[in-house]
Amino acid sequence: MTSTDDLIRCLSSAAGAPRSASLHAALAVTIAASLACALLLVFSVIGIRQDFAEMALRMPFWFKLAYTGALVFGTSVVALYAATPGASATALYALAPAVFFLALGVTFDPTGFPIMGRTNTAVAFCLSSILFLSLPAMILTFVFMRRGAPTQPFFAGAIGGMLSASIGAMAYTLACKNDGTAFVATWYTAAWVIMAAIGAGVGYRVLRW
Amino acid sequence: MTVEERELRWAEAVRAERSGKTVAYERMLKEVATALRRSLAPRVVRAGLGAHEVEDLVQEILIGLHGKRHTWDSTRPFLPWLHAITRYKLIDFARHRRRETRRRVDLPLEDWLEIVEPPADKANHSMAEVDRHLAVLPVSQRKIVRAIAVEGESVRDVALGFATSEGAVRVTIHRAIRRLLGAAERTSTIEAAPRNEHDKHR
Repeated sequence: MTSTDDLIRCLSSAAGAPRSASLHAALAVTIAASLACALLLVFSVIGIRQDFAEMALRMPFWFKLAYTGALVFGTSVVALYAATPGASATALYALAPAVFFLALGVTFDPTGFPIMGRTNTAVAFCLSSILFLSLPAMILTFVFMRRGAPTQPFFAGAIGGMLSASIGAMAYTLACKNDGTAFVATWYTAAWVIMAAIGAGVGYRVLRW
Repeated sequence: MTVEERELRWAEAVRAERSGKTVAYERMLKEVATALRRSLAPRVVRAGLGAHEVEDLVQEILIGLHGKRHTWDSTRPFLPWLHAITRYKLIDFARHRRRETRRRVDLPLEDWLEIVEPPADKANHSMAEVDRHLAVLPVSQRKIVRAIAVEGESVRDVALGFATSEGAVRVTIHRAIRRLLGAAERTSTIEAAPRNEHDKHR
């Protein structure tokens, strides 16, 4: 009897133990909780726009919501792919809608607002707000990734960062004062890329199992 | 067993595990272990690792498979899932071992200085070493040990010089040696422990 046989007997004795929830369910819970945390921070720390009721009816807000929604959808599908061993890479196509909105926002900006925002500090404020709002999502997303079995820790970490940035950006649409679609497409995406880089660095270290 | 048969058999066994069928699951783990052992051995050797490490790797993979079995969607094929886990564990295992090897063959600054130090300094260095070791002895013992072991005088001369009997000198030497050995043992467990750990792996 080798130690491997002992190990196998030990492992198989755990058969039929209550299963942990499927990754789909875990991801749904993660996204809902992350969005709730981010919204809580928007309401309590940043504050929603003064003219929210009026703004919510106009096109720029709908563009922001559509773009961030497409990001959340795309990155969550890819996150599931990254957390599942041997999953099909066609999941990457889920990012197509987000890319479409990004291209649309940059090339056809009907609003004519400057790409650097209405004030000098607009870019810095927008970036730092989105990064701040992504923090709780970042933690929750990494908890999800650790429940899963990411076989490419670097990639899985980057996707985790992207998903949390998408959720942070979605919550930030309630507070964002810049309505130019080029501004939104550029700077929301910049925050998204920063979070992807941070996530990749963290993931490379913590997502090994 | 063809690939299709194996796929069906193992997927069925993992589904059976979910309803608590220990026997089917245990048999499947054994089959996986056997298959992995056979196919991974040449790869592990090619990666520059010892053949004895195959068993460690197989165990790592089994633990990974067991710990992450909830990530397998039972409507999807099982073998691609197992392949991804095996591949990840193989690469991770090699990475770990590479890192350990790097630490083991590392050349720290002290060792490098030992290499480049001129031999003349070496003698002074060793004299200083001796003094440092003898410092654990009381003054009277130190004088006698230094006279006999370092300066090479005979027991008779020392006994004359210190105005005592030869027997007393021998007893003193004996006590000093016991004391030095005790001190050496204490320092070796503190200082040289990591080095012994290294030697074990060589």
